[in-house]
Amino acid sequence: MSETIVKNPGKNYLAAARRRRLRAALQTFCALLLTLIVVFPLYWMLISSLKSTDELLLSHPTFFPKELHFENYSAVFQKFPMGRFMLNSLIVTTACTIIQVITGVMAAYAFSKGQFAGRDLLFTLILGALMVPMQVTFIPTYIMVSRLGWMNTYIGLVLPEAVSAYFIFMLRQNFKAVDESYLDAARVDGMGRAGMIRNVLVPMCKPTVITVTVIAFINGWNSYFWPKMVTTDNAYRTVSIALKEILNAYAGNEIMNFNQIMAAALVCVIPVVVLFFFCQKYILTGFSKAAMK
Amino acid sequence: MSTAPNTTKKKKMSPYKLRGRLADFGYALPALLFFIVFTYYPVVELFRISLTNWNLMKDNYAYVGFKNYIWLFSSTGTGLKRLTSSLSVTFLYTLGEVFGSCVLGLLLALLFNRMSRSFKIMRTLVILPKYVTISASALVFLWLYNESYGVFNQLYTALGVTPVNWLGNKDTALLSVIVFSLWRSVGYAMMIYLSAIKGLSQDYFEAAALDGANGRQIFRYITVPLIAPTTLFLGVTSFLAAMKVYQTIEMLTAGGPYEATNVIVYWIYSLAFKSYRLDRAAAVGVVFFLILLICTLVTMKWSDRKVNYDA
Repeated sequence: MSETIVKNPGKNYLAAARRRRLRAALQTFCALLLTLIVVFPLYWMLISSLKSTDELLLSHPTFFPKELHFENYSAVFQKFPMGRFMLNSLIVTTACTIIQVITGVMAAYAFSKGQFAGRDLLFTLILGALMVPMQVTFIPTYIMVSRLGWMNTYIGLVLPEAVSAYFIFMLRQNFKAVDESYLDAARVDGMGRAGMIRNVLVPMCKPTVITVTVIAFINGWNSYFWPKMVTTDNAYRTVSIALKEILNAYAGNEIMNFNQIMAAALVCVIPVVVLFFFCQKYILTGFSKAAMK
Repeated sequence: MSTAPNTTKKKKMSPYKLRGRLADFGYALPALLFFIVFTYYPVVELFRISLTNWNLMKDNYAYVGFKNYIWLFSSTGTGLKRLTSSLSVTFLYTLGEVFGSCVLGLLLALLFNRMSRSFKIMRTLVILPKYVTISASALVFLWLYNESYGVFNQLYTALGVTPVNWLGNKDTALLSVIVFSLWRSVGYAMMIYLSAIKGLSQDYFEAAALDGANGRQIFRYITVPLIAPTTLFLGVTSFLAAMKVYQTIEMLTAGGPYEATNVIVYWIYSLAFKSYRLDRAAAVGVVFFLILLICTLVTMKWSDRKVNYDA
């Protein structure tokens, strides 16, 4: 609680006001300090990526590079198929996002407004899936995918992560809140199920649908565990696993090359950071929804 | 389908209605099929594999009963020792992550709870690490934690202390990993707490102030109990996320040094893909699954009873 409770406002009013001002200044100072601490590693990524190797290894580190060495970036692009990694991530993430949102919206409709036998029982099947992470199922899934010949393919990367129980849950909560009368009106207008979803439910729950889409994209871009299992070939590696390969490629010489490693890392995070700043409104509403549950 | 109550009651359904219900079911079908194929079937399959002697390097396998579980639980072999060590590492990590993000998250929420433009910008920056892919941010921390050239040691030795090999020393490795994880997650915890605090009714605070409670008392007896559901939510979600940690470990320490950070998922992965013992990996996987299941069910039961302050 930032406000001080003053027992006797009439007396010592000025002193109290001064104390409150001091407290506010202290609060700002502490908040600023903490923000700087949290941001520091990301800032360090940026400036290390622009340093020369000599400057990188100074015993008194420079907090702003003396010269900007953009050639670290071109070196990384020459040594590794960075463009390919980015393209793979873009393809896999986009596919995952689209399928997750479409299946999520469809299932959320069925489990909120649809009517069929065993609906609520089947919904527990979906909720139960929340308790079984990929970290439990990856061995059988790996065997299944490799028997189908889907190792090092886009379908192998996308399909096992194509539906999210969490998104179905979130969207269903929202669809449930839409009043039945809107759907009746749509029915009177002769709309089918797809029409109702497209023209009534999704527009009325637009913020949630956008939140889900943005989070799906960020999660997809940062996904690591499953892509690691299904790819052994750089031609199909996505950025987050490629970074581990890049680190391995420098094994033994990491210290001399941390400028290039940082350059690679920065290139890989830029799309998500840009998306984060543009869509933070939707990500933040996602937070409050999660907290309200 | 026949198990559902509402079809058995109604005897006849018009073909039009039936078609409508089938269509509704069709919308749920892709998701249901997906979870049957990629979640429930693999769980059964995992148990089946754990009963075999499947080696990834060999062409065929046979059923050997509970041999892998005997390896895992008998005190003579290596299994039990490694299981207890990796479980205790996992629980320590989880404890640090859950406790740390709840406490720090709440403190940050109190600190950053001001409605001004500059505070909004600062909050955004504090959440940002959560959305930076772990592989990228772990690379920076590898560099920051570096024994000879890392900034942490350069600042540390400025105080006249000998440098520490943060990630390479078995006493500091797990702690360093937890610090990294907390750096990522505190912003998220802060935002969850902030929206909970904002949602509280002002009446409680006014009543407490009238009764002459000071700031600390209000925090202790009003704020903390009122946001208990949020703490539970955060605790459960970060518990489940921390139990299955993998990427952080692989990027920062690869389970070392001397198994000091060999969490259970990383161990399962190494058994399967480094030692090629799918059978043993599956047995550990089954144990891990049961632990997750029990923990989730217990917290669900417990939270139903316990946390409900704000009616």
